[in-house]
Formats: sequence, structure tokens, C-alpha cells
Amino acid sequence: MTRSKRFPYITFTILFIASLIWIYPYFWLLFSSFKPTSEIYTRFWPTKFTLEHYRFIFFMSDKLQRPFVRALLNSIFISVTITFMVVVSSAFFGFALSKLDFKGKKAVFNFILFQMLFPGFMFIVPLFVLIKNLGLLNTYSAIILPSIISAWGSFMFAQTFKSIPNDYIEAAKIDGANTFWIVTRVMFPLARSTASIVGLFTFIGAWDNFMWPLIVMKDYNKMPLSVLLASFNHEYSSYVGPILAGSVIQTIPMVLIFLIFRKYFLQGISVSLK
Amino acid sequence: MVSKLKKRENYLGWGFSSIYLIYTALFWGYPFVWLVILSFSKWNFFGTPKPVGFRNFVRLFTDPIFWRIFLNTVNFMVYFIPMVLILSMLFALALYKVNVFRTFFALSFLVANVSSGVAYSILFSNLFSESGPINSFLYKNFGFTVPWFSDPQLALLSIAIMVTWKFVGYYGLILFAGLNAIPKSLYEAAELDGATNWQKFWKITFPLINPALTTVLVFAVNLTFGIFTEPYMITGGGPMRRTLTFMMHIYSTAFQRMNPSYAASLAVITGLLSYGCVLLVRFLVEREVSLV
Repeated sequence: MTRSKRFPYITFTILFIASLIWIYPYFWLLFSSFKPTSEIYTRFWPTKFTLEHYRFIFFMSDKLQRPFVRALLNSIFISVTITFMVVVSSAFFGFALSKLDFKGKKAVFNFILFQMLFPGFMFIVPLFVLIKNLGLLNTYSAIILPSIISAWGSFMFAQTFKSIPNDYIEAAKIDGANTFWIVTRVMFPLARSTASIVGLFTFIGAWDNFMWPLIVMKDYNKMPLSVLLASFNHEYSSYVGPILAGSVIQTIPMVLIFLIFRKYFLQGISVSLK
Repeated sequence: MVSKLKKRENYLGWGFSSIYLIYTALFWGYPFVWLVILSFSKWNFFGTPKPVGFRNFVRLFTDPIFWRIFLNTVNFMVYFIPMVLILSMLFALALYKVNVFRTFFALSFLVANVSSGVAYSILFSNLFSESGPINSFLYKNFGFTVPWFSDPQLALLSIAIMVTWKFVGYYGLILFAGLNAIPKSLYEAAELDGATNWQKFWKITFPLINPALTTVLVFAVNLTFGIFTEPYMITGGGPMRRTLTFMMHIYSTAFQRMNPSYAASLAVITGLLSYGCVLLVRFLVEREVSLV
């Protein structure tokens, strides 16, 4: 008995149109950032493409005390540092929690689970008090330090390492490897997809973080792009073109990293499209 | 020899754990204690906090702004949750049925999810602005415009639409994973019994997709209580405080009106409300699913 299913033309067409509608805002943003100011609201396809908005962002914005290039570099520095620290520290903590046998391990693990119950927003006000008491306001550390260790990341690595047989570790030990070597050269490569998932979500979270840097960073020279763009949007709202160009610059790294690591993003929410 | 190794492992384990615990004591434990102290005191960032018992909470529950925000949050959920659930369910079902171009479809919906909060708020405030492309399209074809962000009732709906745009792909794929976990043989058996598509959906798909559905609902509820960037960027909480959210109020109370103790009590109540909402969702929706 063979079931001959017709190709679902109607569903396909609807889905196709819907996905065009879904990416339309992105294309509108991208085209608008290249349009002459007078055509931003009036035409979808511009009469001519211009780089004036990007020129403004890259060369003129310094004069308005809004250093966009610097903010872009700040964002890259902050997000890359946080991502690197979280991935490395989570790998070591995950290893300790899954492969080392020590008294109280269960309690530490349960504590991590307990920690994940509390939404981050509850701590914003008291965390500000801490950063202020440490004298870290308006420094990069104020943004970076509170997020270099992640309960969620450690949990993810611990779960992955649990499923890796101990034979790998025993073999490495016989060859005289120390713990550092075992974690970085044996366990880490075997958990590459977990590392990518943790790294991807951490990077996106750090890049997109807005409320926390808005609170602790008032220095225009050390602001990440998200906060600088928001302040530019509030104070110079008539510069529509440059604001949109800034939004494109803010969006591109996230979209690129997502497209490169899309396989792991899908794994992270356990989807296979096969 | 063996016990020596065991001892070493014990030290090493505690070495790693203590780094984690010391860090957590500083950046999680210390704020946690301050949160509790602040919510029962009066303080303005200077001097020592003055204990006031439950006065912050009493003031909170008699504050009309608090109830306005509470209603806004309920109102937002009423718009957002049905909209995002129905659309992501339709997306998941369509993706399940169509088996070509799946990656293209999934990516074009998912890419909305990795948009930056600030950038997409700017994007939508332009798209939906009075003379923006959406309104000029409506005006040209139908002769009217919609005051998306300036009408008190519509502003919240517009934000719900934005957030829906962002999350349909993500939630849809979680549901899609749920659909894939349902054994195909169930559908084949139902077809042999002459079941219609409608019956198959309500009798097989809907009950069996319950775990994925619960996940999505819990995510959506948590997200609702954390909304900050969109109203901060676009409406500033207005018009008539209709888009004011808990996060915005915590932010402005603590850092603009310099009242961190009141903001701390507000954060505690917000946390409890979101936790209560999640429990309620689980109680109402979650069902044991087992294939016998």
C-alpha cells in the first residue's frame, strides 16, 4: 500500500509569502540605510544608492560626541571577552561537576539549578549597588565582570560531559595528561556543539544587552553600540538615515554569527530540519 | 595509592567549585542579600538603609501606577500569547507538511529572533510611524492610516506585534520539534479509521505536543515580565502610561527617581508574579503525555 501524497502547493505558497513578509522589515532597513533621506519613507526601491549615511556614522558622528566606530569596537571587545570567559569557565566547571568525584558535588550541582530559578532582572538594582561600591561604574568591568561565569553554561557542559565515556579520560591519564590538558584537548573537542551553543547564545545575549550597560555606563567613549545607538536615536531623531545605518551595523554581527552557527542554534532548541 | 588519587580528585573538585562559589557569592549572593534588605528599607543610594518593615509593599499595593502596570502586563499577554501561539503553531504545521526549502523557511523566520532589541525597536518605530511605509501603503490602498504608537490602546498591541514578529520563528521551531517527536504510525492508524485532518489535529497532534506547548507558554510568560527595550525606545511608557512595564518602572524608580529601595520591592513582587504565572500555566496546561 503506497500512500501517494500530493505536493502541498497551497501550504507551500502561503509559507513562502509569509516568510517574505517576515524578512521584509530587514530588507526595508537595509535598503533604507542606502537611500537618499527624501526617499526613505516614500520608495521601497530607491532611485539611487548612496553611502552618505554610513559616511556620517563613520566619519562625522565623532563631532557630535557620539563615536560610533569606537562603540562598535567596544561592543566587539565586551561581547568577545564575555563569550570567551563563559565558554572556558563553563567547560572547567562542567568537567568538575560531571567527571570529578568529590564530597558535596551533588549540593553544588543543585545550587546551580536553584540559581537558574531566579530571573536576572530581580538583581539589577542590588547589582548596581555592588558595582558602585566596588568603584566600577563607567568601566568596562562593570559590564563584563557580572557575566563572565554562567550557571546555565556550566550546567550545559556538565550534561554533555556526563555522556562522554570515562575511557577517554583514563587513556589521557595513562599518557600523562594533567587536568588542564584533559579538559582543553580531550573533553572540549568532544563537546564542540555544546561549546558552540553556549558561545552563540552568550554572544547574542552580550551583544544585545541594553538595560544593564544603559545603567552602568554614562561615558560615551566606553559605551557599547546598543546604548550609543539608543542615545543617538533619542537626541538626534531627525537624522533618520544615520540612525538606520547604525541599526544595520548593530544588527549585522548577530545575523552573521547566527547564519554561520545556525546548525548549533537549531541543535540548541533540538530541531533537525532533515 | 587509590586513596591518594581520591584525595587529589576531592581537592581538585573543590578547587573548581570554590572558584565558582566565591564568584557567585560576590555577584549573586551579595546582591541577593541587598535585594532583601532594600525591599524592607528606605534608602536613596546614600547613608545607611533605614528599616521600614512592610511599608514599601503596602505603598506598592496602594499605588495606582502599580495597578496600571499590572493591567498593562495582563493586557499585553492577552494580545501577545494567543497571537504568537496561533502563528507559531501554523508555522510549525506548515513546515511539517512542506518538505522542500525547509532550511530557507526556518531561517527567514528565525533571523527575526536574532535582531538586536535596540535596532529592531528603531526599525519598527520607523515602519509604523505616522508617515512610514505601512501607513502610506494603507493610505494609498484603503484611504486610512493607523496611529500605531500614539493611540493608548493600539500602542500596546503594536508592541505585541513586534515581539510576535521576533518570536514566531523560535517558538515555531520548538513546536516543530514537538511535532517530529510524534510517531507517524499514529496518523497512519487514524487515517485507516477514516479520521479527518481536523480530527487528527485535535485528537493526536494537540494532546501529544503538550510538552512543547508548555515550554513555549512558559517562555512567553517569562518574556512578558522582562519587556524593557521596546517601550523604552519607542513610547517611553506612554501614551497615558499604557505601555509602562514592570522593568521600565523598576528602572525609572531606581535610577531616575533615586528610590532603589522601592524599586527593589517592585522587583521582588515582579519576580513572584512571573513565578506565579508560570506555575499557573503549568497547572492549567501541562499534562502527562505517555504513549502506551
